[in-house]
Formats: sequence, C-alpha cells, structure tokens
Amino acid sequence: MSAAKVKMRQKKLRNQPASVQCLSSSVHDEASTHPNGGGGDGPSGKDALSLRKKRSHQETGWVRGHQKSGEVYGDKMPQFITAGVFARARAAEVSAMLKAVTKTTGSCHVFGALPRHMRRRAMSHNTKRLPCRLREMANRMREKCLQGSVKKKEQAKNKSRKARRRHGNMLLEFNRRQRKNVWLETHIWHAKRFHMVKKWGYCLGDRPTLKCYRPSYRAMSTHCLLQDLSYYCCIELQGEEDKLLDCLSQLTSKEAGPTFAQRLCLSGQRQGSLVLYRAGQFPSQPLGSATFLWRPRTPGSVHRHLWTWVHPTLKQDVLAEFQSVCQCQAVVPPPVPLVIDAKVVSTTDWEPKPERKHTPGTKRKQSDKDAGGPLAKKILGDGTRSPDTPVTWKSSSTGILINDLTMEIVRYRLIGPQSHSVLTEALEAATDCDESIKSQPSCLWWPNHCKEESKMKLHQQQTDLFHTLKGVYSTAELPPGIVLGLTVDDPRLSIPPKRVKALSCVKEAQEVSDEKRKELSLRGVPEHCCESFLWEQSVRNNVTENKISEQDLNRMRSEVLVPGSRLNPVPLQGRVPILLVHQPGKQVGHEMNSWGAGWDLLLPKGWGMAFWIPLVYRDVRIGGLKMSLTHSQNKGVPHFPHDYPDCPAGAHFQGEQESELLEKFKRRPPAKRTNYIKHGCLAPFCCPWQQLAEEWDVIGSEGGIQAQSASLDDMATRVERTSHHQVPVTKQQTHFTVLRTRKSLRLLSSWCGPTSSQGQRSYRVREMPSLDHTAKKSFLASHGMSLVWVRLSVLLKGKPDLHAMVSVPTADDLKLLSRGGPGSSAPQEPPHRDHLKSTLKRGKKGTKKVASDTPSTSGQMTTTSNDPQLSCPASDVVLGVWPNPLPSVTSHCSRVTLGWVTQADFSLSAGCGEALGFVSVTGLVHTLISQPLEHRGTVLLRNPMSLQYRFAKINIEV
Amino acid sequence: MSEPRKPGMSSLHAVAPVQPSDSPCAVDIDPVEYTLRKRLPRKLPKRRNDVYVNMKTDFRAQLARCQKLLDGGSGHREICVHGLGLAINRAINIALQLQASSQGALQLAANTSTVELVDDLEPEDPDEVAEPLTRTRNNSAIHIKVFYPDPK
Repeated sequence: MSAAKVKMRQKKLRNQPASVQCLSSSVHDEASTHPNGGGGDGPSGKDALSLRKKRSHQETGWVRGHQKSGEVYGDKMPQFITAGVFARARAAEVSAMLKAVTKTTGSCHVFGALPRHMRRRAMSHNTKRLPCRLREMANRMREKCLQGSVKKKEQAKNKSRKARRRHGNMLLEFNRRQRKNVWLETHIWHAKRFHMVKKWGYCLGDRPTLKCYRPSYRAMSTHCLLQDLSYYCCIELQGEEDKLLDCLSQLTSKEAGPTFAQRLCLSGQRQGSLVLYRAGQFPSQPLGSATFLWRPRTPGSVHRHLWTWVHPTLKQDVLAEFQSVCQCQAVVPPPVPLVIDAKVVSTTDWEPKPERKHTPGTKRKQSDKDAGGPLAKKILGDGTRSPDTPVTWKSSSTGILINDLTMEIVRYRLIGPQSHSVLTEALEAATDCDESIKSQPSCLWWPNHCKEESKMKLHQQQTDLFHTLKGVYSTAELPPGIVLGLTVDDPRLSIPPKRVKALSCVKEAQEVSDEKRKELSLRGVPEHCCESFLWEQSVRNNVTENKISEQDLNRMRSEVLVPGSRLNPVPLQGRVPILLVHQPGKQVGHEMNSWGAGWDLLLPKGWGMAFWIPLVYRDVRIGGLKMSLTHSQNKGVPHFPHDYPDCPAGAHFQGEQESELLEKFKRRPPAKRTNYIKHGCLAPFCCPWQQLAEEWDVIGSEGGIQAQSASLDDMATRVERTSHHQVPVTKQQTHFTVLRTRKSLRLLSSWCGPTSSQGQRSYRVREMPSLDHTAKKSFLASHGMSLVWVRLSVLLKGKPDLHAMVSVPTADDLKLLSRGGPGSSAPQEPPHRDHLKSTLKRGKKGTKKVASDTPSTSGQMTTTSNDPQLSCPASDVVLGVWPNPLPSVTSHCSRVTLGWVTQADFSLSAGCGEALGFVSVTGLVHTLISQPLEHRGTVLLRNPMSLQYRFAKINIEV
Repeated sequence: MSEPRKPGMSSLHAVAPVQPSDSPCAVDIDPVEYTLRKRLPRKLPKRRNDVYVNMKTDFRAQLARCQKLLDGGSGHREICVHGLGLAINRAINIALQLQASSQGALQLAANTSTVELVDDLEPEDPDEVAEPLTRTRNNSAIHIKVFYPDPK
C-alpha cells in the first residue's frame, strides 16, 4: 500500500467512531477487525479460509457495490439476525455518524467545505467570493487569524524598528552576526547590492543583483572592474634572507616555474606567483597557488620580510607547512599593540551583552544609552578569531618569525586597462605638514616621518612615479608585477559630488614626463621606491587607530566656508601608507595578450570603506566571486580552488560542488531531470580524475607492448579490451598529479599541432623533439599518471558546459571535419540504455508481487536481487545518475574519453565557445601521435546534457 | 560601428612578427633560455574615425567598417587607417579599395612612422637574473588619411 493511500485512509478515519474500520488488504488486519465491524453479524459463520480466498481478490481496502468476483450475494448474507444486538449496533453507528457530521474535520478553513473545483485562492482574503452560506463563518475565522498574527509579531520583536536601527544597537547586531563568518570591511556595501554567499568562513559577494555580466566583461577589457579580495590571507615571514630562502626552497621547485628565490622578486621590485608543494614532495603533493612579495632590503641589514598571499582554504595547510620547514613551533604572545586590539574585540564580542528586556512602557531610550552606547565598537579584522588564538610563531634555531596577518591588510583588485587612471584620480600623494606641527612631538606617524629628510626624499620620488602613471595609456604597458609604495591623503576628501568616469589623460601628461614614462615601462619601479610603511606593523596600527570617523569628517566638511570645497589643510590623521601591486594580464598563449591586467591596492585594515567609496565614484564596475572566475577563464589560467584537483583544497571543493549540483538535480521533479545514464555521461557532477589517470595508464602500458602501428580505431578496440579485462587491482596506488613542469609542458604544447586555435601559424620556432614513438615512450615514462591543463576552443559551433567530456575523434570523424562546409556536423553519440531504471522498475514490480501474493514469484525476486546493479543500497540511488562504482570511464561512450572540462562558457574575448579543463597526458599523447598532421590536436567536446559532439582544438599554453 | 567591438583585438599587437635579425641584441640572446613575451604597443587615444587594422579580423569586415564610417549617418569626412608591421599591406589595400569603390571621390594621404615596441624576456631560470630583461625594437607603421576633398 502506498504511503499516500495510508494517509488518505487515516484522514478519513480520523473522526470516525471506534467501531468503524476500513478494510485493508492485509489478511491479518481483516481477520482481527471483521468480527466487531459488523456488530457481530459479520460473516463469522464462514471459515477463515474462504474469507482469505475472497479477500485475495480485493486489491484495495474499500469495497464498493457489487463484487464481480463470481460470488453471489447470498453467500455473504447471514442466515439469521438477532434483533436486539443488530439494533444496538446500528444505533451506535448512527450516533457515531451524527457526531462525525457535526464536528469540523481537517483544517479550520471554511472552504474545506467547498468542492475543490469551486475553491479560489482569492477567497482566502476576500470573503465575498465565498458562497453566502459560508461567508459568516469565514469572516469569523479571519478575524481570529488576524488577531493571532498580531499577537505573535509582538512577541517576536520587542523593539521598534527605530530602536533596532539606532546606531549602537545596529552595531551590536552586526557584531553578533559576524561572529560566525568573517565580514569584510565592505560587507554592508556588498550586502545591499550582491547575492552574498558564506564561503570559506567569510561572507562574500557572489554576483551583483543587477544583470551585468556583459558590462562587467566590458569593464574588464576597456575600463576597470573593482573587487574586494581582502579575504585572501596574508602570512608574513621575517628572518634572515639566506635562512628564509633555505627553508622555503623545500616547498617549491624550479622545474615548475619561478620560486621564492627569483632574483627580480627577491629585490622587492616584483610580485611573484608560484605553486606550493608539501616540503620535499615536489611533483606528487601540491598544496595550491600563492603569490608572494618581498619587502625591499634595508641597507646594511639581512633581515627580510616576506608576505605570502594564499586562498583561505589553503591557509591552514600552508601555515602548518611553513611552521614545519622553519621549525617555528614556539608561540609568541601577541605584542602590545595587538593586545589592545584584541581587548577591543573581546569587549565587543565575548562579553555577555546585557539583555535588555523591556516591559512595555519603560523608557527604552535611556536604558539603551547607558547600557549599549560605549560598548559597541566596530569589529575590525577577524571577528571570529578568539583573542587567545596564536598569530605569531617564532623559531629558536633559525630565528624566523611567522606572523598570521589574516584580515590585517585590505586588498582591492582593479582589473582593466584604465585601472591606473582610476587610481591616479582617486588617490593623491600625501601632502607635507607644516613646520609648526613638525616641531611638536606627535603620536601620529606622519609628522614624525616628515622630520626625517631621507624619508621625505623617498616620498617625493614615489610621488613623482605615481604622477608618471598618469601618462600611461593602458595598464598593460607596464612591466608585469611591479610594486609601488606610496603614502596618500585620505581619499574621502576628494570624492567628486557625482560619479565620474576616470579616463587617462595622456595628452595633458605628455609634456610632463615622456622620458620618465619610458623609463617606467622599460625598467619598472626602482628598488627603493617599492618600500612602503605598510610593512611596519606599528605604522599600520597607528593609522588604523587614528582614522577620522565619517561623522567627524562630515562635521569638518560642514564647517568649511565654501560648501563643497576641499578641506584645507588636510587633517593630520589622514595619511595612509599603501602598496600598489601590478597584476599581469593574460600571459600565456598568443591571443589577447595582457588582457585583464590591473592593479592591486593594499591598505591597512580599517580603511577599507574610506578607499572603496572614492574608487566606486570613479565609475568602476564591481565584481564578485563569479567575475573573478570569468577573469581567470578569459586569462586561461587555472582558478584556485576550482582547478586544482590534485590539491587538498581543490579536492574538497570538488566534493562540495558535487553535493551542491546533486542537490540541485534532485530538486527537479523526477520526470524533468536529465537522464545522464541515457546520455552516456558517467560523471555529470564530479570528475573522477584518479580513475581516468589509472585507466589511461593501463591503456598506455598495453599499447607499449603491442605493435607500434596505432591507428585510432585500433586504440578504441584496445580501450575496449582493457575495460573488459578490468583494471588490475594489484597495481600500486599512485595518486594522479597535474603536470606543472615547464619543460614538459612546453614540449607537449609544441606537439599539440602547428597551429593555434585561430588558425595562425605559430611563430615561435624552437628546437623541439618531434613527436614519435621513442619520444612518446620517454615522455610517458615520467608523466604517465599526470593530467594536463588545456584550453579548448570550439571550431565550428557549440557552447561547452561545465564537466563536458573531451573525447578522441575517430578517423571517420576527422574525415567529416575535413570535408568542411556548414553541413558537415560533428558526430552524435547513440543514446545509451538505462539499465538501472529498467531493473529498478522490474525490482519494484517484483517486490510488490511478492508482498501481495504467493511465493511462486520468489524465484523472480531472487534473480532481481542478484542483479549486480541492484546490489547497491537502493537509498542513495538517484535515477539518471550512475551509482558508484563507475564503470570504465574511458570506454563508456562510442568515443574514447580523454578528460573533462572544469570551466566553460562562451568566451566574449574570442567570440566562440571556449573551455578549460584537464586531460590525461597519456591519452593526449596517444591521440596526438595517431592523428594526421593537419588534424593534430583536434578533439571532440560533448556536454553532459547532450548527445551531440562538437569539434574543438586543443591548446596547451605555457 | 564606430567603437571597436573588441578593443584588444583591434589593437596593433597581433600584427608584429618577430624578426630577430632586426635588433642587434637578438643575436646574443639564446632562445632556449628565455621566453619572449611581447607587450602591447603603446596606444594613443582613439577618435571615432580612427581605424586600426589588424591581421586577425576578416579583411572584408574591416573594409566594410571603413566604408560605413565614410558614408553612414555618422558623416565622417575623413577617416584614418593605421597599420603596423605586417598589417601595413592590409592598411594600404583597404585605403586603395575605398578609393576605387568611390569612383575617385576619395583622396588619400599617407604618412609613415616608426613605433617603438617593448619585449619582455623571461628567463627559464629566474633565480639568476637580477635585472628585468626588456628590449625595445622598432617597427614601421603607416597612417593613411582617407578623405573627401573640400569642394572649392
């Protein structure tokens, strides 16, 4: 019996007298209920056997009318009736019926009394739509409801809106809300305009509520897009240069690109980026990507500072790794300024807030003032961290100090060719202070600095360089990754009254500094100008503590004689040290060079909003997490943590993404879901990289033994065979890796075909070993279990989707392609059969039969239960998705699978569908070697929801 | 279409082929140890009637764009066609085609110039090199003014 039927029956019987029973199909039930059901006059004279026989014909419980079961009424009729007993039984029934009729059943809604087809939704609030006879009752009900809800509301919120919105109370509320997830300083601004998500322990803006995908792209490619990246964690390392380099060299490898010791970065002139590995585990255990920045050397000292910026999912791993390689285990109690800071946090956060329960009538305002006023203070930095969490570690042996600067430094990213002009308009180099102030001792940092000649000279040079930026037309002209330290005035003072678009004014600035501009774009910023006081913790704290509040600033503005004019002189507190870091644009590949270049703006904490609003007023677009994904997609670089499947953070992300997508899939009604099994898509939600790498490894090793004449069809058959053989389990478990060795990548890239995606001839002619079987063998010997990051551009039409399959075209497919013309379409996958569904159906039927009837079908049931696909627990089987364990992923479809796509969209910069993803190195090399030269690097793409393959060109960009 | 749809694409950067024999310092730089990354050429503010010709966009599309600028409702009396390096040929071609299709109504005035380009050299072993390696090289450019002569 289905659950719905049971429910219905229960509903019907709810207000029935105890004697009324409903007939149920189960024999046992009937046997027990029947004798009293008829008040003793039932077919008790019949023997139980015949009763059972009769009941077996009735599928459901309710029996209506004449039974066409070949039985005659006469059979059921009792032969005699005892009048007294009969009358009593009927009387009881009648009284029960009367009782049931007078009682209202079910919900208290009046239109329960109406038949379903006469009910209208509008009736619930407009009683005049109800029929006359019900109107009065409905009115009564409605009044009751309204009273109830009013009462409830009052109970829930005991403060008026005005009280709730009062500043102090609001701060308290905000502080309470950011105890679990960290809020960035721009949180409130974002929360009003963005879809917020809670991710990685932060509240982050995902995408704007406006529809602005295309405008944001346009901003990135022609003007400027602003993002708040303060959630990136900064880890500071201090120590002697040699020792630092010595320790850190274990975490990186020269083969995978630049390291911490890169000379240009080491001088502090450039920001570097690299992939971190667990200590000494170079190719096998990557941690994730990071960017780093050295503080320029102070003359006569070997003590260095290094900032490493990592993604929050990566922070704990990296911190632990740093501690182990630097042998920093001793926790240093936080220094004095930090203690003060921590106290502030603790007072706002952990002190039990005085719960003010107002009895209506008392003066709320007064009690608020004395209780909440002085307590509420804005949380700056990490509000979730308890004050006794260690943030500093020191090593006794190496003297290295590790400092966790999470949320201590605000980081904004400006992307786009005009981002430098936005910066030059929004910021102004700090003005010198008067002689009179200089002579007095001051607790502020800037007057003290003004006293020193050398520092002022440096400031002058930095200011000059900053002005030179105005003469640059596009951010991409500058050397990639340069760093500029600067001290600026409070940018709130120069907010324009209206949003104005910041554009570069090359003409005006030209006569100023053509020579200087040339110098800047050739050599970059000289080493000493990269120094900023942002590196000094004392200065940072000083600046954060002495920030003028918005209120004070507005008061000062209102006192200016000419309304709207600039404050003069600038208040002394308004000098902020900042760091400007250039972000290189697209550097790989040949198309769209240096697209998406920009600047990062580093600020001391607390100043986030003070810089955010002036930047916004320069008519930049604001992007969220979605836009950073689009940015890296257009740049063709892997995005952390999405595209690092071999890192722990990446693996974790994949798991999360899978459950998220599966949940989304399950929310659809079953009939509207895509049947991924029928589409031959094994992994629509999560790509089984490990299985892919293993299977290709087996195929590769078998191919090595066999004859060398490998045609595509041959390979396909081989794949099939291996899948039938089953992968030998005895093989030792090696984890797959992503190929990051530059040399190998370059080699593979040169093998991928002579043309780039747009059909241009590659001009970089290098002496590379050509692709033949010996080269293949030696290459695969070292990278057999690797995946490689590739870019796929769709050749004809089609827009790839997330987790689209990359497959090897057969020789016939390539013929289709070379025939050309619009009519030549890519091949199609023949629809697969959903074995799982049919077996499930059969199984369901079988079980039903078994439950309801004789043991004759038990044989069938045993066969169904022996079916291998049913053996998995039925609870976590989702129709349309392959259950684990997956069958062979490579040979599942008619075309051999090479890999999957992790980012895919229509690329607005290339004007065609583009996808980024990973393919198996073994598979790729095998495919390339068997393809004719003119089609080398052509693969097929197929979306998980479609049977249509699309031709695409594979590109490996180094 | 007075604004370029894809400003990155319509810029000149794609058109400059590397000719290592051009610059003297190319000889002593070993191509195995360095990766060459070309920076975009310096851009100047662009008016509506400036057309930068590249080698990626279809020739007919670029020609049509110039034609549209000249006779469309925008009513530009003159346009400037710019070409750099390999695209010089194409720029000349476009200008001549415009003139031919106008039955002699259009006139041309060509100017040549030299554009300084910057290349970054990225060493394979970045730990060795302290100085940022950049080199400048020159490339030729052409600027053709296509205009209707003033009626006198």
